[in-house]
Parts: sequence; C-alpha cells; structure tokens
Amino acid sequence: MSQSEPPGGIFGLSYDGETRIFETLKLISTAIIVLVGAWPIYWVTQLAFTEYETVEDVVTVFPTPDIFTLGNFVVLTQPRMYTYIFNTVVVAIGTIVTVVLVSLIAGYGLARLEFPQKENFARVLLIGYLFSPIVIGIPLYQIWRSIGLLGTRIGLIIALSAISMPFAVWLMWKYIMTIPEAHEEAAWVDGASRWRGFRDVVVPQCRPAIIAAALFAFALAWNDFTFAQILLPQTDTTTFAPGILRAMGQAQFLPDAYLMAISLAMTLPPLLFAYFMQSYLLKGFQVRAL
Amino acid sequence: MPDIEIRNLTKVYEESGNRIVAVDDVDLTIEDGEFVTLVGPSGCGKTTTLRCVAGLNKPTSGTIKFGDRDVTDKPVQERNIALLFQDIALYPHMSVQENMAYGLKITGFSREERIARVEEAAELLQITDQLEKMPADLSGGQQQRVALGRSLVRDPEVFLFDEPMSDLDAKLKAELRPVIEKVTDEIGCPTLYVTHDQEEAMTMSDRVAVINDGRLEQVAPPKEVYDEPDSQFVSQFIGQPSTQFFDGNIRAVNGTAELVVGGYEYDLAREGLEGWAGDDVRVGLRPQYIRVSDDPDAGIPATHLLDEPLGDATHSFFDTEFGEIVVVTDPDFEGNGEEYGLVFQSDSIQLFDSESGVRIA
Repeated sequence: MSQSEPPGGIFGLSYDGETRIFETLKLISTAIIVLVGAWPIYWVTQLAFTEYETVEDVVTVFPTPDIFTLGNFVVLTQPRMYTYIFNTVVVAIGTIVTVVLVSLIAGYGLARLEFPQKENFARVLLIGYLFSPIVIGIPLYQIWRSIGLLGTRIGLIIALSAISMPFAVWLMWKYIMTIPEAHEEAAWVDGASRWRGFRDVVVPQCRPAIIAAALFAFALAWNDFTFAQILLPQTDTTTFAPGILRAMGQAQFLPDAYLMAISLAMTLPPLLFAYFMQSYLLKGFQVRAL
Repeated sequence: MPDIEIRNLTKVYEESGNRIVAVDDVDLTIEDGEFVTLVGPSGCGKTTTLRCVAGLNKPTSGTIKFGDRDVTDKPVQERNIALLFQDIALYPHMSVQENMAYGLKITGFSREERIARVEEAAELLQITDQLEKMPADLSGGQQQRVALGRSLVRDPEVFLFDEPMSDLDAKLKAELRPVIEKVTDEIGCPTLYVTHDQEEAMTMSDRVAVINDGRLEQVAPPKEVYDEPDSQFVSQFIGQPSTQFFDGNIRAVNGTAELVVGGYEYDLAREGLEGWAGDDVRVGLRPQYIRVSDDPDAGIPATHLLDEPLGDATHSFFDTEFGEIVVVTDPDFEGNGEEYGLVFQSDSIQLFDSESGVRIA
C-alpha cells in the first residue's frame, strides 16, 4: 500500500472493497425486507384480480388478461360488508378525533403547567403498553356490559383511544415544548385568554404532531382485531377485521379470491394515507427526547 | 395617559429550598411619555422586573400601578400593555398583516378598521410591501419592525421592551433605534426598556436605571449616569472602555485632603473629604481622562502593550505597577511597545467607599 493511498476502513480492506461489500449487504437486506414485507401485498393484489375459479384450481403468479377480472370486488357490495366498512370508518374517525383532542389538551398541560408529580404522571401513562389488548379486553368486556357500552361503536372508540393515548400524549407534550412560550405570551399581551392563545397560536403550530398522532390512531383503529372481536360481539354490527374472519368461519360461499379483494380494499386507505402524509409524519416524529 | 409606578417590588424564587432574590425592593416611577431604560448585567433581575410589570410574573411583594389603576393582581390580558420580546415571537403561521391585526381581532375591531390601522402602522414602519409575507421570509430587522407594528396598532397604555435587539447585529441595531424612538413617541405612553447593552441605554433613554443584583443602583438621565455615577458598579458598567479602578488612601495635609495612589499624590481640592482622612478608598478614572506623556518620569511609568485603533479614537493598553490600564488616545497614536508616563486628570477622579462601593466624591 503506497503512502498516498488512504488506509483501509474498519475491516482492514481498501475503501473500494469495503464500499462494494457494503453495497452488496445493503442489496441483500433490501431484498429480504421486500420479500417479507412486499411479497404478501403482491400476492393479495394479484389474487384479487384473478378469476376465483382459477385461484381455486391452480397457482398463478400474475393475472394475465385471460384470467384477469374485477369481478371479485362485487363482494364489497354485499350489505354485510357495507356495515363492516361503515363501522370501521366510524370507529377510525371517532378514535382519531378523540385521540387528537385529548392529547392536545393533555400535552399542553404537561408542557406548560406545573403540578406535583408531573413527570411520574406521564410515566404512569406508559404502563398501559405493558398489557396486551387481550388482557385489557376481557375486563373491559365485563365493564362495558354492565354500563351498556358493549356492542356500541362508542365503546370500541373509547377502548382504542385509550390504547393510542400514551404515545399521542407524549408526542404532543414534547412537541409543544418546542414551541417558544413567548409566542403564547405575545398572544396574552395582545389580549388573548389562555384558551384563545392555545387555539390560535399553539394548535396551528402543532400540525405535524397532530397528523402524526392521527395517523398512529388511525392505523391502530383501522387494523384493530382484538378489541373489536371482544367488544363488538354481534356478527351483524362488527368491524371489518373480526367480521371477515367470522365470514370465513361460517363456511358460506366465500372463495379465496373474494377474501383477497376485500383485504386489498381495506389495506389501501391506510397505505395511501401514510404515503401522502409521510413528510408530516416524519416532522412529527422528529421531536427530540421522544 | 398614566404613568407607571413601581413600589417596593420584590420577587423571590424558591428553588429546592434555596431562596433566590431576583428583584430586591425596587422603586421606580416612569412618567407619562417618558422612556426609561433598565440596564444591567445578565441575571441582575431586570427582565424579572419587566415581566412583573407586564403581568407575566407575579411579584412576591410590592405594588405596580398604571396611573390610578392598581394592576398588581391583574393578569397580563387586562393590563393593556405592549411587549417586545427578545426572540421577537411573531406568530409563525400568520402573515405579517394577520400578526399585526391579531390584537385588534381579539378586541373585536371590524375587518375594515383592522386593515386601516395595520396599513397606517406599516407606513410609519416602512413595511407596507411586506404585509402579505410570512414572518419566516423576513430578516431579523424587519421581523422586529413587524413586532413594533403589532404593538403600535393597539395603542397600548404602557410600552415594554425585553432586550428586543440583542439578536441583531450592530448596524441593524443602529438602524432600528430611531424607529423604536419614533414609535414610542407616536404612542406617547410610558416606556420601560430592558437591555444589557449600555449603548442602547445611553442613546435612547430619557432616564437610565442601572440595576445590579436585583437592586437599583442609580436612576438618572444618561449624561448624569455617565458623569456622576452613584456607585462603583455604575461607573464600571456605563461607559466604553470601562472605568479604571485603583486602591487609594485619603491623607489630611495642612487641613485639606489629599489622595494617595501607590506612590503618587493627587491634590483633589474637593470639599467633604476631611472625614475620610486615613481611610482606604476605591479610585475610579475614565480612560478618556488619562493622558499619555512621552516622558516616563511624568506620572505613572507604563510599558505600552497594544493599540486598538477605532478610527475616531484609539484604545491603548499599558502595563503598569497597578496592572493593565486602558487609555483612550489620539486616533493617530501608535505606542510601539515603548515606555510612557500616564498622567491622571485629577479633577475627573471619582472616589468610592472601598467596602460598599458608594460614591464619596
């Protein structure tokens, strides 16, 4: 090795050699992620567009024109599917609204007000994550039954909001801390009440955090299975995830291709939502010390 | 419009058992239309005082009155003040126009009235062409103009400034100073301006209030604070380069008092020093009143260290038996490291109590 050539990297190889190895490893890991993550989505998609008789009989890898069809999606027009989708949308929106409103107010309180045991209070919130939904779900079932929330969408919204809340509150808390207090003080000097200053000055600046919290709540509510299964026990009025499983179990006429069509239809909204909001999402998650 | 009357204002912070007295029994009256600057080093309590007047901090004791109105327990929203912040604090999600109109909107002015007032203020501040922009698109100086405009449109009872120019460069400061004076004149209310920059204090104020360790050291017009400081702290804090200090002693000779500094005697010919005979004193002299003689035997022998030419004057540093001494010299002065003699202009010497720092003569 000549003097002018820089010494090798951490593995004692030349820089070129290390770069090559690094690139190769990167490709391999990308391939693994694609295989594990994207392959199922691809499989769902291609089956959803293939005629259901073909799906039952042979293994296909691509819906070529002779077996391509949109016919599988007629299953979505079934009244029961309609109910499932409607319920899922209502629960998701309800959860988002609840989570955003509560976390904004709680986050503001944590960021701006002094009260005893503030830090501990915030930490206790995180304990909620120690339990799996099924552990919380069973007592909730009994409680909801006795206070009449069992089988209602409100009941499910409350349960799902509680699950999203710790993260959302922490996010808002840390995000609001990054907004200079002088902004609010300027509003007070201008004559705004505390509430008005919060509404006019703090909330508009929290937009990235609001979107991040909303996305998080949406993903949780949209994909929730356990709580919906437990808290919406009636097959007619449940959400999509448990509904589709029960439909499968009831052994009616529901070919695999139809299942795939429903799955695809229900996967698309969160996918699009996340894709178009990703810049906000990143900004929201960028808060330091979170 | 009313005056501001601050009486016995004290603010104590309790922090994990420690009592920190930020503001200690401050008395200050600012007349209607008067511009008073509160100046002092960082951590001296000047911002706390201002925040108490604004209503953002609650005083531990004392009263604050705007005219006949006791506002001590009134929240900031009800005080009808204007406040310029150090970090400017424009609302980043509102345009310049909306920023300036926000206070009016809360008070309930009609849309037409808001626009008219904002345009009037913008004209005075020369930011008419910036009204549609967002604060992030403006330079620091323009942002501070907008913040001034936000206060101007509301026609406040009291105008407060919390180091509004500390983040701006020297040239912008000089540009903005007349704008601030114009705006405060226009509103014509009492103004309290807090800064650590003595140049701002000297150039803009009707009176300067020097504060140190939570206590007011002196409140007087700028010239008086400079020429006749009440204490060693004021003398040292106001003026650039700062006052040079020496240890001295008063000696009674033939019925008059004489000052001895090191081996040098100065006949001060001043009244009231007789009582101090035999006592140690602190001697202060502004660098402007020290003359540099080419003859090392005239006055205190000094070795030239370096020159800082400023164009209109030069600050020259000398090494002497009393340590380093700064002298303001002629703009053409070049010391070249040679030996000189420093001559004190004895009628400009200030004497301070060596313990309390209070001015003696």
